[in-house]
Amino acid sequence: MSERKRIYLQPIPVRIWHWSNAFGIITLILTGAQIRFPESITIFPSYKSAIQVHNVAGLIVAVSFTLWFFYYKMVRNTLDKLYIPTEEDLKHGLARQLAFYCFWYFLGKPSPYHATPDSKFNPMQKSAYLAVMFVLVPLVALTGILLMNVTPLRVLILMSGGIKIIDALHFLLACSLLAFLCTHVYLATLGKTPLAYIKPMVTGWEDEPEHEEESAEEATTPGYRPVRHYPEYSGLPQEKRP
Amino acid sequence: MKSTQNRPIILLLILLALVASAGVCSAARDAGSGYSYGDTAGKNDDCLACHGSRQQVSAAAFIDQTQFAHTTHARIGCPSCHGAVSPRHPDGARTPRADCRECHVDINAEYAKSIHADKTPCAGCHNPHKVETPKEISGQEINQMCSGCHEGFKMTAKHSEWLPQAELHLRMLPCITCHTGSKSYFISMYIVKGKDDSRYGKQEVASYQDLQKIAGNRSIVSLIDANGDNYISLAELRLFNSDPSHKKLRLQGMMTPETASHKFEILDNRRNCTFCHASGPGAMQTSFVALPEANGTFKRVAVEKGAVLGALYGTPDFYMMGSTKSPAFNIIGLAIICCGLIMPVCHGFLRFLTRKNRKGKEHQS
Ligand code: HEC
Ligand code: HEC
Ligand code: HEC
Ligand code: HEC
Ligand code: HEC
Ligand code: HEC
Ligand code: HEM
Repeated sequence: MSERKRIYLQPIPVRIWHWSNAFGIITLILTGAQIRFPESITIFPSYKSAIQVHNVAGLIVAVSFTLWFFYYKMVRNTLDKLYIPTEEDLKHGLARQLAFYCFWYFLGKPSPYHATPDSKFNPMQKSAYLAVMFVLVPLVALTGILLMNVTPLRVLILMSGGIKIIDALHFLLACSLLAFLCTHVYLATLGKTPLAYIKPMVTGWEDEPEHEEESAEEATTPGYRPVRHYPEYSGLPQEKRP
Repeated sequence: MKSTQNRPIILLLILLALVASAGVCSAARDAGSGYSYGDTAGKNDDCLACHGSRQQVSAAAFIDQTQFAHTTHARIGCPSCHGAVSPRHPDGARTPRADCRECHVDINAEYAKSIHADKTPCAGCHNPHKVETPKEISGQEINQMCSGCHEGFKMTAKHSEWLPQAELHLRMLPCITCHTGSKSYFISMYIVKGKDDSRYGKQEVASYQDLQKIAGNRSIVSLIDANGDNYISLAELRLFNSDPSHKKLRLQGMMTPETASHKFEILDNRRNCTFCHASGPGAMQTSFVALPEANGTFKRVAVEKGAVLGALYGTPDFYMMGSTKSPAFNIIGLAIICCGLIMPVCHGFLRFLTRKNRKGKEHQS
């Protein structure tokens, strides 16, 4: 109990991106709600101010998205590895993780997955983040940029079938982002303590559980995906990759 | 005064009465429908023999017969406005011209109080030989009345000081929507096509000739009113928007005042975006499609109520943020958000019930 091990999980650029992104998206959802339902929602004093705040927040999200992309892709070159689920993930990982959330969790078993800086996400996180960061956010930003520049980008709007289609897409994607946000924030509280997962996103450091020594050794072998083997999972296939 | 018979003599008598008496003015005001002024037959032919031909008179004195014939002024006839034409006309003697004030008393009274009154006479905006009612005129034409004095670029710059996307607003709205008061508004839709027939070129109002070419030997109305009942249903709108034989044509819309006052003032409530953007589905119920006619005016065809609120294919190019949201999408959006709440609500509930299972373990390491 004396000396806790810690790992540096979330580098500064990721944290800056994540929180400016979260701030931006929440602002976008609030202002967006007022813009779409002005007769029933008045969060900002005037419609015009809601639009202006919405535009600025959209810009923040677009810029921080670019930062995120370049950091992972160019600087760390870990984007694909972190975010794209492997065959193994899809075949068994997803089911195992789902079984954990829907069943083992309630019995008090720990997660079958443990995060390391090179493999931060469990298969469900991977798939969700992939959809959000590679589909939802880029598309919502793209449609938003079109709606912000109706006159200069008229040709693109016409080609996509009309401004109503762009608007419908923007709205439905935004609803999906809100749906993701609810689930995401909830799952972020599922750590050992409600703040256990959120703390690393703020400080960058995650406390290692004590009995991690044996598996920490294994983790050095290339390609090893750190999975702790509990009896209840033993029926499931082994986590070894070529 | 009213005559439903078409006997020229009676008409002539009416005409005389119109011209001679000072009652012309009240006639103009009371008459409601222009048809009470009778037919145009015989009233203008003498003059148009020369003035309807470019060979006989200069461009300034030329009068487009088809356009003129359509106006209520044609039913009044040239002589009621140009009385006492010199018998040896054209001999250089100046022909008198009626003052619009004589007949349009109310509008004149309103106009006289406006900031424009000493800037331009009525003829600065209306050509007396081409007058149109607000129903027969396109938003672009209305804006042309203003752009003679209020230059487009300057107006965009001036309005963008407070109006987001000013260029878009000024292009997609008649100036009078913001600068005259009206009790009610409607959506005036019109057909546009890409410049020089390119599909994604600058969108311009399709002319009568353009549309007639596409319609072939059918009428233009049949392009959009497929069953010819002079009413455009949502199904017909969809059909029009998805018809592959005229992909270049699209429908745009303008929010237009039902009546135009002549004050042309700055209305402070127009600075508040929600005047238009939160008027809600109610104000978006009424719409018309304005189709160009051979005589240069427009014919209005009523459209099914609430068409602009249709999800996608009713009016894919007409969208007013906050006002034209489709109820169907609102419900789908809500359903998506509810999906996002399944995990927190259901899982959170079971998590609470089974919290004892995890007790201790959380502190064990
Ligand atoms: C024989 C042909 C002819 C007929 C018929 C004719 N006009 Fe003209 N009118 C002319 C010509 C030529 C001019 C010269 C102006 C020009 O070409 O620019 C003219 C000029 C005018 C002008 C502008 C100059 C002015 O006199 O102030 C008015 C107004 C006018 N005509 C009204 C009428 C009206 C009203 C009638 C019918 C009662 C009529 N004209 C019938 C040939 C004709
Ligand atoms: C509603 C009244 C009215 C009627 C009807 C009318 N005019 Fe005029 N007309 C005017 C007025 C007003 C002017 C002066 C316009 C101006 O100041 O620009 C005018 C100007 C003219 C001019 C001179 C244009 C110029 O710019 O020099 C001609 C020619 C003319 N009218 C011919 C006719 C003929 C021909 C008819 C019938 C076919 C006719 N008008 C019917 C009101 C009328
Ligand atoms: C001799 C009387 C008379 C004169 C002069 C006159 N008008 Fe009219 N005008 C009418 C009548 C009658 C109508 C029909 C509208 C109505 O029923 O109120 C009309 C209609 C109009 C319309 C609506 C378009 C239409 O076809 O119904 C406009 C615009 C108009 N006049 C503008 C003018 C202008 C501008 C002038 C001056 C250049 C003018 N009028 C002079 C009698 C006159
Ligand atoms: C600054 C431009 C402008 C001036 C000046 C102007 N009008 Fe108009 N007028 C309009 C517009 C815009 C409309 C609505 C569109 C239309 O019908 O042409 C209109 C419509 C009308 C109508 C038709 C109204 C209806 O509901 O049928 C009449 C009549 C009319 N004007 C008369 C006049 C008279 C008379 C004067 C001079 C006292 C005058 N206008 C001056 C811009 C102007
Ligand atoms: C003949 C020229 C002319 C035409 C046509 C014209 N205007 Fe104007 N307008 C003026 C002038 C001049 C002013 C005064 C500008 C100033 O004082 O700075 C003015 C001022 C205005 C103002 C400001 C009023 C205020 O209270 O300060 C508005 C709004 C306006 N015009 C709207 C319109 C609209 C809408 C149309 C078209 C239907 C139109 N104008 C057509 C000349 C014109
Ligand atoms: C969205 C509504 C809207 C539309 C559309 C619109 N205006 Fe305005 N306009 C306004 C308001 C509000 C003001 C007052 C702005 C201010 O006080 O700075 C104004 C001001 C003006 C002024 C006075 C500017 C000055 O120098 O102070 C003129 C002139 C004018 N508008 C003309 C036009 C013309 C011409 C058009 C059509 C091309 C048009 N407007 C379209 C809302 C509108
Ligand atoms: C207040 C709101 C939010 C909270 C509390 C929160 C919390 C967290 C936490 C604790 C993590 C670390 C766990 C992990 O790595 O999976 C995380 C990661 C992540 N979050 Fe959020 N989040 C919020 C909003 C958002 C929003 C709005 C988005 C995107 C639209 C988002 C996208 C992501 C992504 C992609 C990761 C993985 C980051 C990486 O390490 O590369 N989050 N979030």
